[in-house]
Amino acid sequence: MTMRPFQKTVDRLCEISRRGYTNPYEAIEWPESLPPDGLCTSPELISIYGTPTYDALTTEQRAKLSFFEAINFYSLNIAGEKPLVEGLASRLHKKRFESYSPYLHHFLDEENKHMIYFGTFCTKYAGRIYPDKKVPLGRREYAEGEEDFLFFAKVMVFEELVDVFNQRMAKDDRLIPVARHINFLHHQDETRHLVFGRQMVHDLFREYAPKWSPEALASVRETIAGYFSATWREYHNPQIYRDTGLSNAYAIYEEGFDHEASRARRRDVSSSCVKLLMNLEVLLEEPVV
Amino acid sequence: MSTEIRSALRAWVVRKNGKISAEQLRDDTPIIEERVVTSLQIMDLILFIEELRGAPVDVESLRGGAFSSINAIYAAFFAKEAA
Repeated sequence: MTMRPFQKTVDRLCEISRRGYTNPYEAIEWPESLPPDGLCTSPELISIYGTPTYDALTTEQRAKLSFFEAINFYSLNIAGEKPLVEGLASRLHKKRFESYSPYLHHFLDEENKHMIYFGTFCTKYAGRIYPDKKVPLGRREYAEGEEDFLFFAKVMVFEELVDVFNQRMAKDDRLIPVARHINFLHHQDETRHLVFGRQMVHDLFREYAPKWSPEALASVRETIAGYFSATWREYHNPQIYRDTGLSNAYAIYEEGFDHEASRARRRDVSSSCVKLLMNLEVLLEEPVV
Repeated sequence: MSTEIRSALRAWVVRKNGKISAEQLRDDTPIIEERVVTSLQIMDLILFIEELRGAPVDVESLRGGAFSSINAIYAAFFAKEAA
């Protein structure tokens, strides 16, 4: 059975990408420096918002924290986009994905631009990108279609989650212009990537899941649920609090991660993606986030 | 120093696992193989190790087995500093 091509959608996405083609070196005006009291992350999306530690911070500390939260958010975007670019490149012109290749080129191009935006902000204003702490697990044997499905499903989860942040922060006029603009540009491209990703995940799951053993299917579900948890772990990073000048960074990290306000935020941001995966029966229950 | 670090690492593992007792966990218990620590908790463990040693962990240069037991973690991330 060949995959049902969603060719019209792909053609339309290609057309929009071509029309909106941007030069990443001209798309953003980078100020020489950032105002020390300017916000770079919406307060409600800060990893420890709602905790006693956050409540006790001064206005200056909150502004500084919002800057390092942005550094972490942009860094984890870069960490998520690197394997995405590798995976897209490796699928270019493969027989199974041949009809999608014109769009995969745009997808690759746009992801590369996002890394330029995020990387420029981090290196220009913080002097560094936070390192990725994910430990690569050893390769294993996959059932037919499982590796492709997991690749696109993880891409979808990652992009759905960060797009909630991008959408909210692109509209937040409390943020400094450059931070709003980065979130806006990212969201603009992600809307197309999400249309593509949702259809791809749907098609691959419908095609392959019936062929998988119950054990393989359970493993796929566990992997996707685990991916939610791992992604959210990265959003809470002690380095943010150290760079903000707060002591007991690891204790703040644990308090932030375990606090009910954070759980509620993670559930809220994850909800539309979880609903989508449950409708497809990729997930049978809500993952713990 | 070694005793304090090993004790802090054991306390972290016991707390995060929630089932194993401090008496059951030895420094040579294969914590990954026996799923006392799951693959999802490794990132959290790295952050804790960074806090304990006051220096970042370079994930790209990690060798296999670095998290396999308390002994292995101590050898991989603390022994050099202590020497």
